[in-house]
Amino acid sequence: MINEVTNIVVETLPQIQGYVYPNESNVHPVWSVLIVIYPYITGLVAGAFIMASLVRVFNVKALAPVYRMSMLTALAFLLCATLPLLCHLGHPERNYEVMMTPHMTSPMAIFGFVYAWYLMAVLLLELWFDFRQDFVKWSKTTPGFQGLIYRVLTLGVTDVSEQSVRLDMKMEWILSIVGIPSAFLLHGYVGFIFGSIKANPWWGNVLMPIMFILSAIVSGIALCVFNYIVLTWIRRKTVNMRCLDAMAMFLFYALLVDAVIETLDVLHRGFAAEEGFAVLQTMIREKLFYTLNIGQVGIGTLVPLLMLGALQLLRHRVPEAVRRTMIFCSGAMILFGVLMMRWNVVMGGQFFSKSFRGVMSYKMEFSGQEGWLLGAAIMCLPFIILTVLVKLFLSESEQLQPCEHLPENSSKT
Amino acid sequence: MLPFKLPPQILRLVLVAMAIVGSYFVARSFLVPPSFGQYGWYRGAALAEIASREPVFAGKQSCDECHSDILHKLAKDAHKTLSCEGCHGVSREHGNNPDILPVKSTGSHCIRCHEANLARPTWLKQIVVKDHYGPKCTECHLPHQPTKSP
Ligand code: HEC
Ligand code: HEC
Ligand code: HEC
Ligand code: HEC
Repeated sequence: MINEVTNIVVETLPQIQGYVYPNESNVHPVWSVLIVIYPYITGLVAGAFIMASLVRVFNVKALAPVYRMSMLTALAFLLCATLPLLCHLGHPERNYEVMMTPHMTSPMAIFGFVYAWYLMAVLLLELWFDFRQDFVKWSKTTPGFQGLIYRVLTLGVTDVSEQSVRLDMKMEWILSIVGIPSAFLLHGYVGFIFGSIKANPWWGNVLMPIMFILSAIVSGIALCVFNYIVLTWIRRKTVNMRCLDAMAMFLFYALLVDAVIETLDVLHRGFAAEEGFAVLQTMIREKLFYTLNIGQVGIGTLVPLLMLGALQLLRHRVPEAVRRTMIFCSGAMILFGVLMMRWNVVMGGQFFSKSFRGVMSYKMEFSGQEGWLLGAAIMCLPFIILTVLVKLFLSESEQLQPCEHLPENSSKT
Repeated sequence: MLPFKLPPQILRLVLVAMAIVGSYFVARSFLVPPSFGQYGWYRGAALAEIASREPVFAGKQSCDECHSDILHKLAKDAHKTLSCEGCHGVSREHGNNPDILPVKSTGSHCIRCHEANLARPTWLKQIVVKDHYGPKCTECHLPHQPTKSP
């Protein structure tokens, strides 16, 4: 008996403070760490794609060397974007049923359409048009299984005449123009899922989709910086500093806008101080102190802003190696900070009682369907896929040169 | 001859797209569970599946057969509204075979119900365990007759 009582005191009570409805005092929040990873991954996809469209649509030539890499990054992460959701289902083994019976009026089910559109109609198509010429070339020169892959990927079209290549480029250009709103849609949708929950003051907020998109762009560029530096390091190549500086510049401005919008959100909430503001304050001061103030604001925003901002001012005074390290560190910190931001959004909304007078907490499990082990595995998977994609589609020699068919041709045609 | 000819790569893509959409519909005809949509946007058979599950709770009446004394005691005191299994855990197996003891044979987590919480109705007697007489509830309260002491 004594044992049981003390167990309970240890087990349930510290999880709850203040006035919490009995049915809210669950051991876990319903949306666990997997739901933190889901917006993180979709954000990386959308961000990496938007970074690639800087090359295609806005004609930023300095970024051409990372165009293909960022498109492949977007693809690798998009392929894993649904995994956290599917693993989170009560019956993950029946996940295909959800895709076979799409529902038009459920906001959750709309993700299926958004996802399918983005993967099939935008990303794969654009990649295919971009690589088609090379598929034809490689399928002729590569023997064995790998050659077979290229041959299948040509879809049997071997026409690489100037006329057809020009058509490819036009299509690519159209697709990346379609792709930008689609990328915004993909991630704006994720923000909408949270922002449309009116009863929850932490979530229900029209700025939510916008903050999600901006932080997605930031995290996507940071991921490209990270991948680019790691890739050149693995391949023992030198980093193209012009390209890296350009990425750092865009990263800085995107981060600046993101930080401003998020600050605006905080100021607005603070000024309006609507019902439930007191509990939000408790969250910021206590429950989310480390992940919000230190993780998201400190490590994820202020330090990178300072580092990247200093680089914008003093670019020519800082030696290349130092610059590279600083950009790499900012990228890594931003990646971490955006993950923390997703955590704060997803968990923050579940840490306080609907009475606004009590708070709960969450201790991550290690194993199991909702454990962080599975979450970490899902986070590793895109990198594994990306490695395969890079092996197949980014030949070493091409890496640092801009693509052979420069994008500016495309916008002229 | 068509006046306008689709470029070969577009033609292939159209074919691939048609193949994908086609195979989706073929897959649908196999993979959508047969009873889907019978009553609504879900598997009709799920209802029967859930209904056919073995119950794990037995209910108060089934304990009467062997523990009628406790049932009487319980019915006369403050805990009369509680079910045995609310404190002892699922006991259907135990009722069928007394050698298998109930999940919590030695009683319950009293504080699950009695720890003070503002959200609880005020008619439910609540204590702050830290300030109460001691952690070992059954020393002073009979669980089946909570107003009496042993
Ligand atoms: C078929 C007769 C029978 C039924 C029905 C029955 N029990 Fe029992 N129960 C026993 C017997 C016999 C024991 C003593 C077993 C022992 O001490 O080994 C016992 C013991 C117990 C104990 C004490 C275990 C211990 O460690 O001393 C509890 C608690 C209990 N039963 C609860 C229940 C509940 C609750 C129900 C109704 C769902 C129930 N029983 C139904 C026969 C029954
Ligand atoms: C408030 C929670 C509670 C409820 C309700 C309850 N019990 Fe118990 N029961 C206990 C506790 C606690 C013990 C352990 C007593 C001890 O260790 O001194 C216990 C012990 C027992 C025992 C062991 C023998 C004994 O008399 O001490 C049996 C049998 C038993 N309960 C059966 C039942 C049955 C049958 C019911 C339903 C009519 C029931 N209990 C309802 C808490 C409860
Ligand atoms: C499932 C919830 C539940 C559990 C578990 C439970 N109780 Fe109760 N208890 C009640 C309810 C309901 C009442 C009746 C409240 C009322 O009418 O005043 C009550 C009344 C009491 C009272 C009577 C207060 C009075 O003076 O009227 C005492 C003492 C008590 N419980 C002690 C215990 C002890 C000791 C345990 C652990 C063995 C326990 N309770 C477990 C729900 C529970
Ligand atoms: C040392 C003896 C002792 C222990 C141990 C003990 N109690 Fe009590 N309890 C009492 C006495 C005496 C009263 C009645 C006087 C009072 O209300 O202070 C009481 C009253 C209660 C009441 C009714 C309170 C009210 O407002 O009328 C509840 C409920 C209760 N106890 C639950 C528990 C629970 C649960 C535990 C185990 C964590 C427990 N008690 C442990 C002696 C004890």
